[in-house]
Amino acid sequence: MKVNWFHLMPYRWLPDDFRERYHGVWVDLPNALYDPERGHTLYNEYLDMLEYADQLGFDAVGVNEHHQNGYGMMPSPNLMAAALARRTSKAMILVLGNSIALYNPPTRVAEELAMLDVISGGRLIAGFPVGTPMDTNYCYGENPVTLRDKYREAHDLIIKAWREREPFAWNGKYAKLRYVNVWPQPIQKPHPPIWVPGLSSIETWDFCAERGYNYSNLSFSGYKRAQKMLDGYWERMAKLGKEANPYSCTFFQQICVSDTDEACEREWWPHVDYFFNRCLHLYPGMTAPPGYMTEASIRAGIVAQAGNTSMNLGTNKSWKELVEGGYIIAGSPATVRQRCEELARSLRCGHLGLGMHIGSAPMELTNRSTYLFATKVLPHLRPIWSEWEDHWWPKALPEDKREKPGGHNAAVQSRAERPTEEPL
Amino acid sequence: MTTPQSRTLNLGDGRPVIEVLEAGEGAPLLFLHGAGGIVAWEGMLPLLSSKYHVYAPLAPGFGASTGLECLEDQFDLFMHGFDVIEALGLERPYVIGESFGGWMAAEMAALRPKEIGRLALLAPVGLWRDEAPVVDIFGMLPGELIPYLFHDQSCFAAQRMMMLTMLFNDKDDRTQEQVEILLTMSRGFRTVAKFLFPVPENGLERRLWRIEAPTLIVWGEQDRLVSPIYADIFREKIVNAEVIRVPETGHLIGLESPAPLAEALLRWGQGQ
Repeated sequence: MKVNWFHLMPYRWLPDDFRERYHGVWVDLPNALYDPERGHTLYNEYLDMLEYADQLGFDAVGVNEHHQNGYGMMPSPNLMAAALARRTSKAMILVLGNSIALYNPPTRVAEELAMLDVISGGRLIAGFPVGTPMDTNYCYGENPVTLRDKYREAHDLIIKAWREREPFAWNGKYAKLRYVNVWPQPIQKPHPPIWVPGLSSIETWDFCAERGYNYSNLSFSGYKRAQKMLDGYWERMAKLGKEANPYSCTFFQQICVSDTDEACEREWWPHVDYFFNRCLHLYPGMTAPPGYMTEASIRAGIVAQAGNTSMNLGTNKSWKELVEGGYIIAGSPATVRQRCEELARSLRCGHLGLGMHIGSAPMELTNRSTYLFATKVLPHLRPIWSEWEDHWWPKALPEDKREKPGGHNAAVQSRAERPTEEPL
Repeated sequence: MTTPQSRTLNLGDGRPVIEVLEAGEGAPLLFLHGAGGIVAWEGMLPLLSSKYHVYAPLAPGFGASTGLECLEDQFDLFMHGFDVIEALGLERPYVIGESFGGWMAAEMAALRPKEIGRLALLAPVGLWRDEAPVVDIFGMLPGELIPYLFHDQSCFAAQRMMMLTMLFNDKDDRTQEQVEILLTMSRGFRTVAKFLFPVPENGLERRLWRIEAPTLIVWGEQDRLVSPIYADIFREKIVNAEVIRVPETGHLIGLESPAPLAEALLRWGQGQ
């Protein structure tokens, strides 16, 4: 199996009385709480963490997209991916953002992702989320009733823009473009692998299955609910006659590793508590605008409905409850290894997204956890699912064909900096 | 109290199928409901049906009405309104619109001024001033809406609405019947969101001068959802308009002060 080291990039200084003073972490949390100088340090620390994961041999590094909140500092995942494209060389780059319905025209996304693929030597995984209601409807003003329709049109346009070799006209309902002719084009043909993050709507599963995309389950609602959701996914795949290839599925899991189980609780609890009780402090009045969910999904009752979000997100739980409920996998390398193996096999996921920075966790603690995972856990996970072929992985240029950032300066330096030739 | 008859209006292949509630005899009166639909035949509608033949069509997504997917944008919605008038065979009816329905009625009267006989707008949305933003009904929990809808939250209608919104709790122990009620409510809200999310303003103000029908504008003095300052803008921009302010009343005038409202509407209908 493969693992990606995924960052949410939360803001680390939400006040202690945050839950009492603000109704939610998203949409209308005043930006007066944000300190740009602290932000400067935070971005650079967070990018350093991702670069460290590349150095330790994680298969991919990942970023995502959220707007107007204290939970994720990445309104533009492409900017983060661009920084990573130049500072990493081995890991693939997973961009689980670009809520494609938000961009006008959507060819902007086709352009930027193609740029990332070209700069990184074909290491890009293109995520196409619909986006949360908070991001898409409340922050970006998209109509919840037409959002999915607009998403599908944006998807079709981007894919066509990556496949066509001649300019074409696009007369869509949402985008009208006389000349679509995207430069540059991605290295990966016909286009980078596409992963679609979601909770558990049947529509998303079918969308992925029909087009051969990876379904990435992103939730913070614990193992029991995850098992139910992914059982539903595999049942649906069977019904659609798709092979049960574990690599078609990614599961996101928050993980902390320390030297012992006891040390893990002591070291990580404040930061885990910060994540579940501040970063996930959502105002339920803005989680389910009318029309965002299809009636089938509401009826199926497997996605969060208005009012019950706090139930499933692990808020107000103790360390013990979070660990036993599988909201986090935490402990010594041996404990984490065992739990990860169980998780991968029982959920049948070929890709694991690791949330290894959690809440307010500082640099050293995070890197220690990353190091322990890379050296003591990861080698044991790799053989799982080795009998299956991964069709959802970038076809990057071979490592020796990839450019080394700065290498061209070095190659010409002595000649470029030679003394001037004075005229005789 | 008169009990309304419900009937189905088929507007043709590929067009919405509409449920219409009807009661009373007399000149035609078309009532366009607000975002809550017509949960029960109550408030001022029975009072109006004592003098008028009241027609209350439900917008697609409300009640048994279907076909929201046939209406792509606001223009489709307004033309749909005229389809309903034509299918009901109404000639220059007296049109009363409440909130969302008031916006729709005003837009229709501006679009085809000759086809609306008289007009009454009950706290309509559709205008915008930064100093008095219309409350975001899509960005809060249903129960939290109630203080914005009623002046007196202890009144019967407010209490009953509160009971309904209790269904949006965080427990998964709803009965099938309650699930259906929730789905019905969310379907109606979906319709309103399709046309009014995220800001309920799309240029009505620059079209108001086109309205020819004598227009009564009614506002609850304590309306916290759509500020009463909008009443003055409607009156200034519509050629032949008057304003009535109902004291001790919030946004849902027809539920909170049905008698004075019905009296004013009946008088307006008779050209007084």
